[in-house]
Amino acid sequence: MIEIKDVSFEYEKEQGTLSHIDLQIKQGECVLLCGESGCGKTTVTKLINGLIPHFVEGGTLSGTATINEVEVAKTEMYRLAEQVGSVFQNPKSQFFNIDSDSEITFGLENAGIAPAKIKERFEATVSALKIRSLLGRNIFSMSGGEKQSLAFASVYAMNPSVFVLDEPTANLDADAIDILRQQIIQIKKEGRTIIVAEHRIYFLMDLIDQAVFIQNGKIARIFSGEEFHKISEEQRITMGLRSLEHPVLDLPHTDPPGTKIGLSVENISCAFDKQTVFREVSFGAAPGEVLGIIGHNGAGKTTLTRCLCGLLKETSGKICLDGKALNAKQRNKASFCVMQDVNHQLFSDSVWNECELSMPECPAERIEQILKAFDLFDFKDRHPMALSGGQKQRLAVATAILSDKYLLVFDEPTSGLDYHRMLEVSDMIQKLKTENKIILIVSHDFEFLNRTCDKIFDMEGCHSERRQESVRNI
Amino acid sequence: MNRSGRKHTLKFDPRTELLLLVMANVVAFTQHSIWVEIAWVVSLLLLIIVCGCKKAAGKLAAAFGICLLLQYYIFPNGPKILASSFTILVSYARKIFPCLIVGTLILQKTPVRELMVALRKCHIPQGLIIPLSVTIRYFPALKEEVGYIRDAMKLRNIHGIEKLECLLVPIMISATTTAEELSAAAVTRGIENPAHKTSMIVMKFGGQDFLCLAFGVMFCFISIMVG
Repeated sequence: MIEIKDVSFEYEKEQGTLSHIDLQIKQGECVLLCGESGCGKTTVTKLINGLIPHFVEGGTLSGTATINEVEVAKTEMYRLAEQVGSVFQNPKSQFFNIDSDSEITFGLENAGIAPAKIKERFEATVSALKIRSLLGRNIFSMSGGEKQSLAFASVYAMNPSVFVLDEPTANLDADAIDILRQQIIQIKKEGRTIIVAEHRIYFLMDLIDQAVFIQNGKIARIFSGEEFHKISEEQRITMGLRSLEHPVLDLPHTDPPGTKIGLSVENISCAFDKQTVFREVSFGAAPGEVLGIIGHNGAGKTTLTRCLCGLLKETSGKICLDGKALNAKQRNKASFCVMQDVNHQLFSDSVWNECELSMPECPAERIEQILKAFDLFDFKDRHPMALSGGQKQRLAVATAILSDKYLLVFDEPTSGLDYHRMLEVSDMIQKLKTENKIILIVSHDFEFLNRTCDKIFDMEGCHSERRQESVRNI
Repeated sequence: MNRSGRKHTLKFDPRTELLLLVMANVVAFTQHSIWVEIAWVVSLLLLIIVCGCKKAAGKLAAAFGICLLLQYYIFPNGPKILASSFTILVSYARKIFPCLIVGTLILQKTPVRELMVALRKCHIPQGLIIPLSVTIRYFPALKEEVGYIRDAMKLRNIHGIEKLECLLVPIMISATTTAEELSAAAVTRGIENPAHKTSMIVMKFGGQDFLCLAFGVMFCFISIMVG
């Protein structure tokens, strides 16, 4: 039993507050915390796993949170860890070892459990979560989904009665989400309590016992599982929630290659580390058109992106822009990729300088015009890293427009975004269409693709046999 | 990691390997007889060959051979300027070969996990081991980051001296967030638990470990006596 009684909290350094949170969660329940980004759902998870007040510095806390009658604020973190396990949103920053086996046993070894017992828990974890394919591997060779699965397993190994999951699917594709779903079903069957803060909801719908809708740091409403199912489409949009059902992709297929205007990809194959990633990929895309690219994990979407942008040479085939075949170097000049982690591509100390870095001889009026078009002009003296996620993304796009890039590729532009922020990205891309650019979007967010794209290209069937096998093993 | 390859080869306790590294140092800096040195290098090379590092052993043997050749054939017979400018460099390079060989063995054949357990068994404080293991884990992560950032720079046409600055800013930022997220994950996993640490890996000195250490001690004695 988890009880949160009249808890209010205010961060010292960050934005966001919680006010008068009251919540009761029975043992074995699955509870969804939902609401827009920044509404406070992650903060609620921190009340339960003890990061507030033990890890978050400063801040003012009132009220009490208890787990099985033990007060969280008065219990050592390592004591809480025996009862509460946490999985976070970034699969990259949750492991402490290089090999997967060590990671699973890490918590137990650290708690000084007897070796025979560790072995027992290790085996139990592997068979309950069906992760034998992850054993004995280098974690750095794993996909995001596999890493998240491993993080889940290493928490499971410690045998906590409560699982706190903070946006666990933010970086996962549909297959990996399905694996996570199976793991959640397993722990629910075992009678463990599950608290999930999430934007993506569809995969949890039939597992939810309570859905807590949070708005501006307050609980706006608590739905029972049944009530939550009955939410109408309009209601969920005003609540700013992502689709409650698994969205189905409803878009026509891409054009064949060979167009004289726009992009024509003709039978290209690519290899990485001497291993063929995909072969014989062909498609076309016209300027002013938005093309979505989908495919399973390991199908080679990232490799295709890097190849189109000229960061990787193709092993065969050709890529033409407006009827002219371009080599990697020429493509590099003509294209830009907005990366999933946009922090990697902002280098300067102010928004304005970031723009000048792209085009040193660019007239100030042009920069001003572009910044205004992307709603960034008011922030021109800010440090790029002080911008919000959406603003950073728009700044990256603005630099691409300034340097006259013709082909723009977006790599997972909506990972971890709520409904309204997803709409903002979609609107920005619609605006780009009018600039007559060729726009490609690599994504597995079907709700977003349906809204944004004109056509779709599915990479399924393009990857080499070897890869196919490894995908199946996952 | 290297699981399949290890089954058919000899495997030592990481503590043996660490002790061997110490002995390699002792021998390197006490002996003055070229024959003791050659014997020591050859036996260490044989050792890492039976442990499965054939390729690395070949490369190291070739490099050692070149050093000997330079010092005993080319320098005495070649132009004086060559001898006077390179003698010191080559003779010191030769001295570090035993350490290089044992180091190769540790890097290639010992998982970080086992090394950590070994350090723990040697009563190195936990406060030192955890930062060390997380640091080791950070290097591959850093390599990944640098890969992304270099891609991003190519797309922005950033060249020359600007590159270094542009590389540092995103790395520092990502390192800060990674550190923050990692420590949050660590405390929720009970890293602060004061309990005595255990391990699923059973680590035991075997016959090969004693034999190897005895051999090493013998060499240390010989080199000190002869030297």
